[in-house]
Amino acid sequence: MILEFMRDDHRACDHLYTEAENALADKKIDEAKTLFDAFYRATNHHFDMEERELFITFEKRTGMMGGPTQMMRYEHQQLRAQLESMLKALTEGKYDDFFGIGESFMIMLQQHNMKEEQMLYPMIDRALEGDAEIMIQTLKEMPL
Amino acid sequence: MFEGLSLDQAPPLSVVMRFFLTLPTFGLFLSLLMIFAPHDVLTLSHPLSLASIHLLFLGVISMGMIGALFQMQSVLGGKPIPNPHGNSLIIHTLFTLGTLSLVCAFAFGISELFIIAGVFLGSAVVYFAQILLPLLFGTITHDTLKGMRLAVIAFALTATLGIVMATSYANGTFGDYHALIRTTHYSLGLIGWIAILIVHVAFQVVEMFYVTTPYSDWCKHNVGRILVGALVLKVLWLFLNLPFPWLTDMIAVSLLFGFVVTTMKRLQMRKRRVSDVSIWFWKGGVALLGLALMSYSGYLFSDYTPLETVSLIAFALFALSIILGMMGKIVPFLVWFHLSSSGFMDTPIMSNIIPQKRLKITFWLFSATAISALLAPFYANILILCGLTSTAMFALLLFNLITAKRLYHHTLEHGTKFTFQS
Repeated sequence: MILEFMRDDHRACDHLYTEAENALADKKIDEAKTLFDAFYRATNHHFDMEERELFITFEKRTGMMGGPTQMMRYEHQQLRAQLESMLKALTEGKYDDFFGIGESFMIMLQQHNMKEEQMLYPMIDRALEGDAEIMIQTLKEMPL
Repeated sequence: MFEGLSLDQAPPLSVVMRFFLTLPTFGLFLSLLMIFAPHDVLTLSHPLSLASIHLLFLGVISMGMIGALFQMQSVLGGKPIPNPHGNSLIIHTLFTLGTLSLVCAFAFGISELFIIAGVFLGSAVVYFAQILLPLLFGTITHDTLKGMRLAVIAFALTATLGIVMATSYANGTFGDYHALIRTTHYSLGLIGWIAILIVHVAFQVVEMFYVTTPYSDWCKHNVGRILVGALVLKVLWLFLNLPFPWLTDMIAVSLLFGFVVTTMKRLQMRKRRVSDVSIWFWKGGVALLGLALMSYSGYLFSDYTPLETVSLIAFALFALSIILGMMGKIVPFLVWFHLSSSGFMDTPIMSNIIPQKRLKITFWLFSATAISALLAPFYANILILCGLTSTAMFALLLFNLITAKRLYHHTLEHGTKFTFQS
C-alpha cells in the first residue's frame, strides 16, 4: 500500500525531472524552468510527506528513532541542497552546471529511492498494518 | 523487528578503488598476451588460452564485480559490508594473489602454483561469500537481492569446482569426470555468477537511472529461478549422460534473449533522453549478449567451433561493457559524494572528475577492441590489433581512475570546507 503509493510518487517526480532536463537539452529554456519548478515543488512535497507524517508514525509504532528514518532525513537534507544548487544554476543561466549537478543528484536520488522502495516502505507497510489506507489519505491531503 | 538494518550511504572510496585499479592492470597483462601470442590465446585448452580466460574472467570481470558489490550492497542490501577497509583488503589481496598464481601456473606450467592459486582464490571467494550471504538473507528481501544471493552462491560453487580442477592440474592427473566438472565450472561462472548478477542489477539500474518503463514482475520474479533451474538440469543431464544436452542450454539462451530484447527496448524508449556514455556501454553490452546467444545457438546446431569462441568472447565483452559503463558512474559519484558530504565547497562536479570526452574515447577504444576480438576466431592475427586497442583502453581507464583518485586527495588536502561562524 504505502510502497505502491510512494513508489508511484517517486516515478512521477522522476518524470518531471526528465521532462525538465529534456527541455533544457532542447534549449527550451522557459519550458525547462516551468518543468523544473514543478519537479522542485513535487520533490520537496514528497520529502515533507515522509518527514512530517510517514517517518514519525513509523518511529512511534516501532520505537526506531535513530535508525533508517534518520538516515533518510539526512539524505533529504543533502538532496534539498542539491535541488537549491540546480535551481540557482538554472536561474543564473549556468546550464552546464545544471547538467553537471543534475548527474550526481540523479544518482543520489535514485540510490535514495531504491533504499526506500526496497527496504523502508515495506517496513513501514508492516508497521502500519491495517492503517496504511488512512495514512495514504492523510498524505494525499497534505498541501503541495 | 528490523535489527541490524542500516541505510548507510556509500563505502569509503579506497574500498572500491582497490578493486577498480587492479582491473585495468590485469587487463594490460591480458593485452600483452594477445599481442605476443595471438594464436596460442585462440587455441582452446592451450595453457596461454586458459591463462587469458582466467585473466579476463577473474582479474578483470570478477574484480570489477566484487568492487561494485561493495558499493551496491549498501544501497540494495540494507546492511553494508562490515569493516569495509579490512574486509576489502583481505578479499582483494587473496583474490589478486590467487589470480596471479593461476595465470602464472597456466602460462609457465608450474604445478605448485595451481595449489597456491586454489588456496588463495578459494579463500577469497569463500571469505567474500561468508561475509555477503548472511547480509543478503536478512529481514529485507526483493528480486534484485534474491538475484545477488544466487550469483554469490554460484560464484562460491564455481570457485569450489575451480579448486578441484586446480588439484588435477597440479597432479597432472585428470579423472573420468574432469570434462564434466570443467563444463559445470564455466557454466556456473558464466550464467550463475555473471549473467544472473548483471540481469538483476539491470532490473534496478536501467529502470531507475534512465527512467524507463519497469520490467514486468514476472520477469523480475522468475528469471533467476529459471536460470538456476536450467543450470541444475544441465549438470544433471551431463552427469547422467542424457540425450540432447542442448535442450537445457536453450532454456537459458531463450530467457537471456528475452532479457536482451526487453532491455534494448527500454533503453531505446527511455524517457530521459539526455545521453551519456554509460547508455552507450549498456546498449553495446546488451547487443553483445545478444550476439553471444546467437553465436552459441549457431554453434549448438552446426558444431562449427569458431562460433563457440565468438560466443565466449562476446559474452566476456558484454560483461566488460556493463562494468566499464558502471565504473564511469560509480567512481566520479563516490569522489563527489565523499567530498561534498565532508563539506568541501570546491567539490568538483562529476563531469569534471572523469570528463565525458575521456569516457567517450574509452568507449570507442572498447568498440575497436570488441570488433577486432570478435573477428579474431576467423583471422587470428587480428588479435594483435585487439591487444593494441585494449592496451590503449586499459591504460586510459587506469589514467582516468588515478586522476580521479588524485583529485579526491588533492581536494581533501587543499580544499576549502564550509565553516559556521558564530
